[in-house]
Amino acid sequence: MTSKIINMAERIKDAEDRLLESMFESAPIADNGFSGQIVKRIRRKLWIRRITLPVAVLLGLLVAFRPMAAIVKGVYGLLLSMPGDLVPSLEGSLPSLQLIVTGALILFVAMFSLSMLED
Amino acid sequence: MISGEDNELVARVVASQDTRAFGELIRRHQSHVRNFLRKLSGDMSAADDLAQDCFMRAWDKLHTYSGSGSFIGWLLKIAYTTFLQSKRKSKRYAEILEQVGHVSAAESRTHTVQADETGDLDKFLAVLSEEERAIMVMSYACGLSHREISEATAMPVGSVKSVIFRGKEKIRTSFDIKDHQHG
Repeated sequence: MTSKIINMAERIKDAEDRLLESMFESAPIADNGFSGQIVKRIRRKLWIRRITLPVAVLLGLLVAFRPMAAIVKGVYGLLLSMPGDLVPSLEGSLPSLQLIVTGALILFVAMFSLSMLED
Repeated sequence: MISGEDNELVARVVASQDTRAFGELIRRHQSHVRNFLRKLSGDMSAADDLAQDCFMRAWDKLHTYSGSGSFIGWLLKIAYTTFLQSKRKSKRYAEILEQVGHVSAAESRTHTVQADETGDLDKFLAVLSEEERAIMVMSYACGLSHREISEATAMPVGSVKSVIFRGKEKIRTSFDIKDHQHG
């Protein structure tokens, strides 16, 4: 109620207020591609944000490929050098090194493709 | 052209990052925001750059718009903050230039603006302080209520009223308003 009264009081303008309003009044500015320019900037920003993470992950994978392969190779070699009674029939059950690394890469790419599709 | 109230468009933008809906919001309000910044800065191209920054910020902060006040009031709040921050930045820049013995670029730009101020409104605005200018423009050019101005400037409603009163007083004493009134 009080706010309504205040709003009504605000709307009651004297001649000076009306004069100031007319003095401050200005012609509307035509859009002339202004909004389109901003929307374009926003779309570019969104696209960059969307692409940054997958690109970073791919680059990371490329950089980490060799050390990862070395680690997997080391673990693989360690398992093979263990006594036969500790890890029975290991040789037959372990997949090849290339298969492990390729599988991991495919898994990563698939996960990121799915998250990008969701976006 | 997309139909719907401002609040509906805001909801669409927040829910699904709909750039077309945001484009429609810009189309609706760009004139007010640009006019506001042009009157504040007195420099058309700088004002348009600031307006672009303002809408970019609005995009980032849209989720904070509660929908309780008018959307243009919320936009003008961002526009005013953007203007003050750019002013602060250019002031700092001018100080650095002065320290290294250069003529301040910002200072020379201000002189150009003052020289260009020939219109009645520009003369009126020139006698006002920055704060008074912003509040008077929000009130008389953009038609915001005192409450909306108070939200936009983070000032109590009472202070907004007294700034408007002071601004009117300054204009009244500096110019013979009655002359304008009677042509």
